[in-house]
Amino acid sequence: MISFQNATKYYENKPVLKNIDLSVSKGEMVFLTGPTGAGKSTLLKLLYASELPDEGEVTVGDFNIGRLRPAEIPLLRRSIGVVFQDFKLLENLTVYDNIALALRVRGRKEKDIKGLVLEILKNVHLRHKSDNYPLTLSGGEQQRVVIARAMVSEPSVLLADEPTGNLDPDTSKHVARLFYEANIHGTTILIATHNREMYKNTGKRVVRLENGVLLGEEIG
Amino acid sequence: MEHLSYSTRTAFHSLMKEKWINLLSSLTVAASLLVSAMAIITIFNLENFTRTLPERFTMVVYLQDSVSPEDTQKLIGQLKNKDYVSGTKYISRDQALNEMKRTLKDVSNVLEGLDENPLSSSIELKLKKESVTAPAVKKISEELKKMPSVGDVYYEAKIAETVYLLKTSIENMSIIILCIISFVVLFVISSTVKILLYRRKTEIEIIKLLGATGGFIRAPFLIEGGVIGFFGGIFASIGATVFYYSLTTSFSAFMPILKTMVLPVEIVVLLPIAGLVMGVIGSLISVGRLRL
Repeated sequence: MISFQNATKYYENKPVLKNIDLSVSKGEMVFLTGPTGAGKSTLLKLLYASELPDEGEVTVGDFNIGRLRPAEIPLLRRSIGVVFQDFKLLENLTVYDNIALALRVRGRKEKDIKGLVLEILKNVHLRHKSDNYPLTLSGGEQQRVVIARAMVSEPSVLLADEPTGNLDPDTSKHVARLFYEANIHGTTILIATHNREMYKNTGKRVVRLENGVLLGEEIG
Repeated sequence: MEHLSYSTRTAFHSLMKEKWINLLSSLTVAASLLVSAMAIITIFNLENFTRTLPERFTMVVYLQDSVSPEDTQKLIGQLKNKDYVSGTKYISRDQALNEMKRTLKDVSNVLEGLDENPLSSSIELKLKKESVTAPAVKKISEELKKMPSVGDVYYEAKIAETVYLLKTSIENMSIIILCIISFVVLFVISSTVKILLYRRKTEIEIIKLLGATGGFIRAPFLIEGGVIGFFGGIFASIGATVFYYSLTTSFSAFMPILKTMVLPVEIVVLLPIAGLVMGVIGSLISVGRLRL
């Protein structure tokens, strides 16, 4: 489902990812760990074509990221749900509309959107905040809105960049449970995280990245 | 349909959020459209005026003194068959003299001592409107002079020249004005949309990351441009109506001819439509350059 073959990415002539070889099978859930600046976010950005590989190949499903035509980029992104580290919520839209936007760009009907958004809001315990604007929410609440937005369209691939970074332990557990449930339903998931608690004793693959190099993997 | 509903809501939300900049753009568009409306009203009325000039135009064909009544009738028949002639009127020598006497009745001594009628019989020709242009009239006159029985041809060259000059300069002026105004309106709207695009740069980036297509991102901006242009057109229509009533009421005291001015109703309807179309095109110019 996800594959890196000898992928390298440079920023200002310095390699931030070096010869990455990694594959994630359909329906698999993999954790990506490593210190700040290891290249985790860049690796995820390659998957949703926010960055393009300078060398090697990166594929997501049938999409070869380095050879995407401009018209294919939206199609790739619609097949992926992304939990951004910096949230990327639209401040002028309510919580409801931020989540609904992920469905609207996919051309879903308004009557379907309402039910799906309210259901996901219930799952992330934010049903009562649907009319709030993002800036009136706490960091943890905003993070849950982002997770809800990434999941609401039931994408085949879910990417998350530090999804529990702003959450207290209880909420972290709750969020982790949401990812596991999505994975049980067949979603392929790649999560970049510092949070050991998230992958400890899960039996899932944990890949370690440092200075842009994959150091190896273990079972969490 | 769902897409359109979302784009419309987003566009109106943005229009309200950035109401001052949008109002300013609408007023600038209105000012530009008003200038073109004023130009069109002026051109329309000038055209109306020049349209009546050919009706007043007459060409007089003087007959040779030796022409027999049969030849005169033959000539009239030939003239009537010309495709540029819309009417003929025969004036005999006696009728011409009586007319002259009537005209000069206050200075009748001028005609004393005339033993015989010095005037020629003539045929007054009315030409079809499209033939009343300086080059056409000149050509017709030369053609008529070559005809048997014709002594001379006289016409008021200035009327034909004025009609021709007015028509061509009005046409040229209207093309130039409309080009300039179209350019101004497109520039104003595309600049406004460019500012809106810049202000919503982050928002556009996020929507792109969520998988939005170019059309999804561009549609609200096209609607916004259209609405700005449409309101600009409405303001311009109001302005044009006020301009017209001011001319025909207040200003007509100084220039009575202004009272005869006509307001083409079509323009009041067409201005908002023109604004809308130009607004969408102006937005297209800006969002077309958007890298998606």
